Amino acid sequence: MAENSNSLAGRVAWITGSGRGMGRAHALLMAERGADIVVHDVLKDEAAETAEAVRKLGRRIFVSHEDVRDVAAIQGLVADATKALGPIDVLVNNAGVGQHKPFEDITEADFDAMFGVHVKGTFFCTQAAVPQMKERRRGKIVNISSIWAMTGAGINKASHYCAAKTAILGLTKAWAKELAPWNIMVNAVSPGGVLTEMPIKTQGWDMIREKEKRVPLGRWARPEEVSYAVAFLASGEADFISGQQISPNGGETIVGI
Amino acid sequence: MGNLAGKVALITGSGDGMGRAHAVLMAARGADIVVNDLRADMAEETARLVRDVGRKAHVVACDVADLAAVRAMAADGIKALGKIDILVNNAGFGQRALLPEITEQDFDRMMNVHVRGSFFLTQAVLPGMKERRYGKVVNIASIWGMTGAPVASHYCAAKAALLGFTKAWARELAPWNIHVNAVAPGGVRSGGPMKLDNPEILKAKEEKVPLKRYCEPVEISYAVAYLASPEADFVTGQVISPNGGEIIVGF
Repeated sequence: MAENSNSLAGRVAWITGSGRGMGRAHALLMAERGADIVVHDVLKDEAAETAEAVRKLGRRIFVSHEDVRDVAAIQGLVADATKALGPIDVLVNNAGVGQHKPFEDITEADFDAMFGVHVKGTFFCTQAAVPQMKERRRGKIVNISSIWAMTGAGINKASHYCAAKTAILGLTKAWAKELAPWNIMVNAVSPGGVLTEMPIKTQGWDMIREKEKRVPLGRWARPEEVSYAVAFLASGEADFISGQQISPNGGETIVGI
Repeated sequence: MGNLAGKVALITGSGDGMGRAHAVLMAARGADIVVNDLRADMAEETARLVRDVGRKAHVVACDVADLAAVRAMAADGIKALGKIDILVNNAGFGQRALLPEITEQDFDRMMNVHVRGSFFLTQAVLPGMKERRYGKVVNIASIWGMTGAPVASHYCAAKAALLGFTKAWARELAPWNIHVNAVAPGGVRSGGPMKLDNPEILKAKEEKVPLKRYCEPVEISYAVAYLASPEADFVTGQVISPNGGEIIVGF
């Protein structure tokens, strides 16, 4: 029994931005551990690929391409997903966008897009999922933040990204308290460097190798190393954990207590 | 699952309570266990539970405040089970005393068990971990190490010191791929609270926890076992606090 306590069998997990990268890794690990998955990404081909991989693991899927900023569409997504798979037990607010720009160059459109996807998206996806969690007095919200929420980005210059990720930590802590009476646990995972397609494409291996030298463990993570933290928090093993943060970051960021 | 298969874990203070729960869960996931406790009979009982799930157990009954005994324990554990991959610095105790009441003896005992014991036992198991370029140290702190309490300042400071070790060792030992993290439990239905509190006091305390309960010891073990596993190979210098939302702190 103890060996299978991390099982997600019979659970439905909605993972935003699960078409590729870490989101896909979360979907596959949670499917492996028994969860049916709401695959959600604006990128249709990528979402279809994740869905196919989940199906191959023998789990059920519901696919959506709604923009997380479209509040009405998200409510529709929850209604349709629930009809297809049953009520949502786990929500992973993973959808995000990156942008490297100095402070002075960040336009109003850049700012609104960054806060729209990360903060407004996380806020209203959670608002849409919570009523059925409250009703069943059971739920897990895992918000994906970043080490940059804690430290800022330094030379990478992305203050709007940093602040959006910090806002996600604020939501995590406030919701943990507000939703505890309904046995809904809310936690954050704040990854450090992760080898997803995105940085490999935008930064290149030379820059990544350089950045890896600054990590005490001397490397970036494989996407699934972040998924292990997410799946742990989503499981019954973490039923006494709420309002907390796990940061798989190779020792790059070690912060206050 | 068995994601600790082939590993050997030394768990101090594993004769009862949380320490025993860590030992049994980690054994169920495939680890052999060096069981340490001050009380030999309690340690033997934990060893029996470990063997019941099919793993090897070796008992070393000693006081972690005794540095010679601590060093001998590391050597003895390695001789018996081959190596030590995982060290859980769990041995500890509480003492509800106010500042004016804490004697030099109280102070020294608190620091010797939690701080010196953890320090020198970690030092003793380190060479093998460095040699294999892999190791896991999990220090058991407490929410009181993060927030303080209106009582037991020596306990709060000893637990805070363990958080200090965690962060410093994570940096110092990273070049050898040794991962050091802390688990800081909130209210647990074991040890102190169960012995010292009557049911009404315990209930009142649970009411103050957002999730309205204290947890079972194994709920702490899940966090320890996660950090001890290869799943947490990119996690170091971090603190996981299973506390029911009672303590939500800064970054």
